[in-house]
Amino acid sequence: MATSIARRTFLKLAGGTAAATWLPRGAAAQSPIRIGFTLSATGPYAVGAGITQRPNYDLWLDQVNAKGGLAVAGGGRRPIQFVEHDDRSEIETIVRLYEKMANDDKVDLLLPPWGTAANFAVAPVASKAGYPLIAPTAGSLKLKEMALPYYYLMLAQPDAMMLSLANYLKDVKRQQKLNKVAVIYVNDLFGLEHHTALMPLLKEGGFEVVEDKSYPLGVKDLTDVLKGIKARGAEILVGLTYPPDTILATTQAKAVDFNPPIFYTAVGTAFPFYRDRFKGSAEGVMGVGAWNPKVSYPGAKAYFDAHVAKTKKEPDRWASAFAYASLQILEESVAKVGLDRAKLKAHIDATEFTTVAGPIKFTKGVNTATPGMVGQWQKGEFEVVWPAERATAKAVVPKPNWE
Amino acid sequence: MTLALLLDVAAGGLLLGGLYALIAVGLNLQYGLMRVLNVAHGEFLMLGGYVTYLLHVNAGMDPLVSLVVSAPVVFAGGVAVHALLYRRLLKQERTREELEANSLLISFGLLFILQNGALLLFSADMRGYQYLDRPLRALGTVFPTNRVVAFAVAAAVTAGLMLFLRATLTGAAVRALMQDPVGARLIGVRVPRLHALCFGLGAGLAAVSGSLLSMLFELTPFVGLPYTITALVVIILGGLGSVGGSLLGGLILGVVEALGVYFTAPDLRMVISYGVLALVLVLRPYGLFNSMARRPGRAEGA
Repeated sequence: MATSIARRTFLKLAGGTAAATWLPRGAAAQSPIRIGFTLSATGPYAVGAGITQRPNYDLWLDQVNAKGGLAVAGGGRRPIQFVEHDDRSEIETIVRLYEKMANDDKVDLLLPPWGTAANFAVAPVASKAGYPLIAPTAGSLKLKEMALPYYYLMLAQPDAMMLSLANYLKDVKRQQKLNKVAVIYVNDLFGLEHHTALMPLLKEGGFEVVEDKSYPLGVKDLTDVLKGIKARGAEILVGLTYPPDTILATTQAKAVDFNPPIFYTAVGTAFPFYRDRFKGSAEGVMGVGAWNPKVSYPGAKAYFDAHVAKTKKEPDRWASAFAYASLQILEESVAKVGLDRAKLKAHIDATEFTTVAGPIKFTKGVNTATPGMVGQWQKGEFEVVWPAERATAKAVVPKPNWE
Repeated sequence: MTLALLLDVAAGGLLLGGLYALIAVGLNLQYGLMRVLNVAHGEFLMLGGYVTYLLHVNAGMDPLVSLVVSAPVVFAGGVAVHALLYRRLLKQERTREELEANSLLISFGLLFILQNGALLLFSADMRGYQYLDRPLRALGTVFPTNRVVAFAVAAAVTAGLMLFLRATLTGAAVRALMQDPVGARLIGVRVPRLHALCFGLGAGLAAVSGSLLSMLFELTPFVGLPYTITALVVIILGGLGSVGGSLLGGLILGVVEALGVYFTAPDLRMVISYGVLALVLVLRPYGLFNSMARRPGRAEGA
């Protein structure tokens, strides 16, 4: 809306030229730290980028600059200036812009773009130029296998995430005798990799897979697929979906009266937008994730409140907290070792961080301190329901009927 | 796979096909009359969708009632666009090729302006609301209620347009102009006025489609282009300038897509659409139902 445009323009000014004038004295003399990134303002990635990353970048910029800037080891505080671009959800554009920011603009630090495929494309660019990139919205075993020295994955990766889901489903199978699974997945790196990770686990768990279908990014219609799944008597729907299709699958499942005991969708399920859009029908829907302000990690509630105050929107209940946590890690590391990027890497490699998303520790570039989790909408909150040691509530199965 | 499920899927495709038809009819009216290919057609659809969304969410207006706002507003927008951009172009027309090339450039520009204007106004956030999204049980199966309603409205509007073209003097003038631009001028058809009217009508019909689609799918500023492409496939199927052909073409495409997707995968939807298009172009290059096929020389324009 118009207000958010105004806010963005304001922030650019605030981060850039104006920073020197309104920041506390002392900071004004310092040259700003230039932090480059692209986020999709347009195209299929725009929704996820605008919900999960953009607000956290903006919030952090505000908070840090209000403190007088980013504390740099041995150099006092320096204000942050964002060097940002709209990548239009185009992989080539994303790569070109990151190459430009790293090699021509020579920004001080880089933040990652949104989404698995975009991260997959820029991770080698950043690593080659020696920029640490801590990614809160990427899930890819290929990225993990590439073991890029400067690239860090915050989220539980497809293997861990799907293992957690499969373990949960096995638990349900034991207790409630649910056996027939239908899988749909988006034909994008995210969907493909999670699908590859999930299918052997379902087989090993002895589930009957009644449908297994991919659909393209930007799909407009899933009713026919859902009707087929319903006709085959699926008891568990697993949708390895992206935000627009998460909404689509829910709307259309509801419209063809397909209400399986377990309805699980992926990216977007944890967005407050999902709850607000479907109201009572969101009740009992499960999703990939999860995080909520009730978790016991230090600063979690304060982060939630600051996010609401700053953006007038609640953070999403999965990767938002990890996006903010990635900035906490960067902030803490710069305070400890400065802006030398090799030293930053060494510090990030060696440290266990305490963040709003819980403890984070990277092992060969992958956060191994956060297990895969399953979330479920219950009375307006996205509760963590699996694994038990992280759970904030018990799962409700079967889910109630669509409202 | 039972016969019942097959019919069920086909019926679902038919419902969506009705909307394809309505979208295509508007585009076809513009092309058939003026030989200007408006690739920003889907953007008028998007605008109609946003008008309905805003009225429903902010003012609580029923999406169906909002049609009486979205259609005239976008119709007026279409007439204005015609007056500002196309009237001069049509006056200066020298050859058909030149007209088509220039009008294409104009509408591409229009597409970018409308899309980015919508992006500034509405942001890229998905917008949607729940409306009649309960299952409707009929004929031993379930249909999404909102789709059935959208189909009914689309069918009524298309029928109304066909009636207008057949039964009124203005409609006769439109048909005359489509068939023979020179002859129509000679018998006193006021060409610029009809052009403005039909460009507006095309935009208005797109807006109606957009309002109906907003009941079914989420809106973003970028929803338009895929529908423009679908509409192009439909009018080539049904024949350029043939309203009845667009209607049948839309329904056929809807059913073929639904069945094709059901038997293969949603990934192949575009392949299926273009496959049908390619087949028709090879077998019946003037479209399935185009009467112009028998006398292609007359379709050339002035």
